[in-house]
Amino acid sequence: MAGPSPHKPRRKAKRAGGNGLSNLPVIMEREALVRVPSFPLAAFLWPARSSVSQWELLPLILMAVGLFRWAAGLWGYSGFKKPPIFGDYEAQRHWMEITTNLPFSQWYFHDLEWWGLDYPPLTAYHSWICGKIGSLIDPAWFALHDSRGSHDPTLKIFMRATVLISEYLIYIPAAIVFVRRFSRLSGVPTWTSSVALVAILMQPATILIDHVHFQYNTVMLGFVLASMSSMLAGRNLWAAFFFVMALGFKQMALYYAFSVFAYLLGVCVFPRINISRFFGIALVTVVSFAILLLPIVAGTMSNASRGITAHPDGAHPPLPLFSDLAKYLNTEAFYYPVVEQLVQMIHRVFPFARGLFEDKVANFWCALNVLIKLRKYPSELLQKGALVATLAAILPPNLILFLRPNRLLLPLAFAATAWGFFLFSYQVHEKSVLLPLMPMTLLLAGKQGLGKDTRAWVGFANILGCWTMYPLLQRVDLRVPYTVLTLLWAYLLGLPPTSLNAYFQDGSSIWSQWATAFIHGFFYLTMAFWHVLDMFVMAPKDKPDLWVVANVGVGAVGFSLCYLWCLGSLVIESEILPTSLTGKKTKAKTQ
Amino acid sequence: MAEIYPSLVQCAIVAAAFKILLFPAYKSTDFEVHRNWLAITHSLPLWDWYYEKTSEWTLDYPPFFAYFEWIMSQVAKLADPAMLWVHNLEYDSWQTVYFQRWTVIITELVLVYALQMFVDSTHGVSKRAAQAAAVSILLSPGLLIIDHIHFQYNGVMYGILIASLVLAKKKLSLLASGLVFAALLCMKHIYLYLAPAYFVYLLRVYCLSPKSIFRIQFFNCFKLGGGILAIFAAAFGPFALKNQIPQIFSRLFPFSRGLCHAYWAPNVWAMYSFMDRVLIGLAPRIGLPIKADALNSVTRGLVGDTAFAVLPDITPRMCFVLTLLFQAIPLVKLFMRPTWEGFIGGVTLCGYASFLFGWHVHEKAILLVIIPFSLIALKDRRYLGAFRPLAVAGHVSLFPLIFTPAEFPIKTIYTIFWLVGFLMAFDRLAPAPTRQRLFLFDRFSTVYITVSIPLIFYCSLLHGIIFGSRYEFLPLMFTSSYSAIGVVGSWLGFMVVYFTE
Repeated sequence: MAGPSPHKPRRKAKRAGGNGLSNLPVIMEREALVRVPSFPLAAFLWPARSSVSQWELLPLILMAVGLFRWAAGLWGYSGFKKPPIFGDYEAQRHWMEITTNLPFSQWYFHDLEWWGLDYPPLTAYHSWICGKIGSLIDPAWFALHDSRGSHDPTLKIFMRATVLISEYLIYIPAAIVFVRRFSRLSGVPTWTSSVALVAILMQPATILIDHVHFQYNTVMLGFVLASMSSMLAGRNLWAAFFFVMALGFKQMALYYAFSVFAYLLGVCVFPRINISRFFGIALVTVVSFAILLLPIVAGTMSNASRGITAHPDGAHPPLPLFSDLAKYLNTEAFYYPVVEQLVQMIHRVFPFARGLFEDKVANFWCALNVLIKLRKYPSELLQKGALVATLAAILPPNLILFLRPNRLLLPLAFAATAWGFFLFSYQVHEKSVLLPLMPMTLLLAGKQGLGKDTRAWVGFANILGCWTMYPLLQRVDLRVPYTVLTLLWAYLLGLPPTSLNAYFQDGSSIWSQWATAFIHGFFYLTMAFWHVLDMFVMAPKDKPDLWVVANVGVGAVGFSLCYLWCLGSLVIESEILPTSLTGKKTKAKTQ
Repeated sequence: MAEIYPSLVQCAIVAAAFKILLFPAYKSTDFEVHRNWLAITHSLPLWDWYYEKTSEWTLDYPPFFAYFEWIMSQVAKLADPAMLWVHNLEYDSWQTVYFQRWTVIITELVLVYALQMFVDSTHGVSKRAAQAAAVSILLSPGLLIIDHIHFQYNGVMYGILIASLVLAKKKLSLLASGLVFAALLCMKHIYLYLAPAYFVYLLRVYCLSPKSIFRIQFFNCFKLGGGILAIFAAAFGPFALKNQIPQIFSRLFPFSRGLCHAYWAPNVWAMYSFMDRVLIGLAPRIGLPIKADALNSVTRGLVGDTAFAVLPDITPRMCFVLTLLFQAIPLVKLFMRPTWEGFIGGVTLCGYASFLFGWHVHEKAILLVIIPFSLIALKDRRYLGAFRPLAVAGHVSLFPLIFTPAEFPIKTIYTIFWLVGFLMAFDRLAPAPTRQRLFLFDRFSTVYITVSIPLIFYCSLLHGIIFGSRYEFLPLMFTSSYSAIGVVGSWLGFMVVYFTE
């Protein structure tokens, strides 16, 4: 397929992007996808280029991505027939069991050894709703104690449906709105933004983790997206509210917290200091937290008044954290159960006591561990090290975002910050790679998002992300959905290993093209080679984890490059450095 | 001219990804049927194939299909030899499932190739429409439900059929078209239903002179006749040597089966049964006699042997005569004006007649109508008007094939996706007709399509909530009666279009 000619009149672009675009500086000098679709996904939406309104196209897109999700869900889930404790699926099911059967005050205390609730309260409420609905269909699914490890096939369908419906209620509307707003701000025509929307919704990592392996990450990511899209619309109070909801659903949203903070603070300070805005945001944040905690606080109080305590056996264990608090508080006072509840919740949600990393995960510490055995260092030192390294990694992007609170920079800043957290923070799980991937993939909807450079990097990050989750997926026999969904996405976006068309665009500097192609090529080849090794060669007996460790090492290096790319792009896009330094590159990028 | 997007290959790749994800989906007994045939053809000598009856799913397809199974069994051996043991009934190790599901996807490439032939054979302005029709067939929910969930090999066979239909377009490849069709008949005899149209068309354009029907082109007759004979000899010859033909025929044409199949195919007889049931309630009031034995039949409406309580019973002979009659009517016109579009229309109408009036028609046979029709549905808006209710009815009628809750969203959402996407695209692509459209028919199809929404909702959800597992025949009866109205309506509409062309 021939690349689009630089001087092609953009007939479609103007017509499709007519709504409110005309007054924007139209920077579509070399808008891709002008005459010939440059990758298969564009070909699929090709017939909808002209005259089809987005409202005809959108239902089709939503049906298609839903079909892929549901079909992927036919495969097994984590912990399927893997006693004794099963997996994430059992955890989520178990939370539905305890929230529907136990009083509020016992949710965070009940039998912690068996998947005790360790997510913030919104997850608990969500589990309660799902559990209530499920119990209407079949009460045995969530019967207290008796339902543990249930593998009822109908229950599986129900659970899959809850993931899908939650996603369609939160993540997908948020993604649609975000993509529309972001594309419009970036001057991207509607049709192109539809292509980006499909690419974002078909992201293999999210489908694999939520709909196959089983979790509700999209709810949290959806709230973050809603928050970002409120920022795009200038509705900062809503942004604060949605972000609190995201935090309230899954503490992992903290990866983004610095960026949210930096942006919201930035808009209060620049271009001129706006005190009322600042206090408005602060107030909304506090109120949102109050709303979030209200049900569990009120529930605990009402339980306490009826004599139901957190400990059915009547024990009075000390507070798990802040144990000094007990000295100042009357353990018999009416408010004490609430304090105990909240402290327990914080204790469950933030497991400070665990190690630097749990499993093999492709971040800096785990990769470093290959070279230096980190266990021989005291854990306090490691914690401090992690803190310093994380701060060092996230400070630059957030500083830029604070100084230049430009809406178009949001995805890049969010991605860079989340990469920083993923690479250097404490207690990272391999599934956490979804967090940096989400904002990074949103770049596809931006200016030149489907152009070669961005597409190559976003694609690289996603495929590398899926690849680092392969050990996790193959443990539960999910090789086939992994292969299919990853390759399908790569194919749709014209990425390796299916195509090389995302490389070597004409226009930008030869040097940077070759560098990108060379680096990516090296990683793609390594991934392919690793798969061959993993499939055909047994790891040596004394190092049974060798392949996983290799995966982690390569992944960590690749993710570091993604972090650097995001940061570098952020520096260039924000034009924070004097143009004399970046001028040449800026030109290369906007071309 | 530049290629039209998305290309067939691109669609095939994405569809294949989806189909691979469906590997763990529900599979019907047809999966075991085909596994058994793999085992039979692999482990028994040729002469025993049509006598083997360890499994209840005996080999009842013609020999080319058996050869096809034999070829696949050579590969199956590498995947899991255990699936090739005749006594290993109901065997479904994951290797077996993966292997058999893969064979369906891979053999479907024949369909992709045939559709590409179809697109390439079209030129000029209608190429875009041809591409849309080809993609619609490739992504047909019918094929997805029947082949990739329920499990069968229709993709490859409809591919051969389309190849044969496309070959009939050019004068030079008429012979090839006839021979390919003969080979297809030796693979699955259900295509006999379409044979009359082939017979008439090839007779007129190949065996008789284009100038006069009284001048016979003997050399062409010889080539076609000889070719067909050779193909049949290749298929049935080995069995004929051992006098096994009567045995094969008893397997291929089991006339002992009932009028209606287990699920009612949406044809005239479904409407007839529906009327019968309504009349059971009315009969005492209008003084009609009721046959008591038919009433008491426990299996009413669910299993094959349908006996009617009020209306007269139907015999296979009546079905046969009606089928042939309604096939003959359009074929007269085809004989008079033998164009390629007329031929495709004739094939479609043969499919309609046999589907609507045939004996023991299976609902899957609706593809015999939909797929040929798709090739000409975009000729103009009148054709499309007749096609629309068929597309809705035909696909909705396949829903009862898949009844497991996990696959429910797949069959419904996929079908709705297809209907919305393609009917919308077809509306844009079909040119305005040269003749006046059937005003009322458009209204009918709009109302008809609208009714499908509450119907699907009732059959899949509401009925279960209201009645639980009682009156199980009700949703089936509603679905098939509804679909029957659509199929009959579109048949009448298409007949009018065909004759006023």
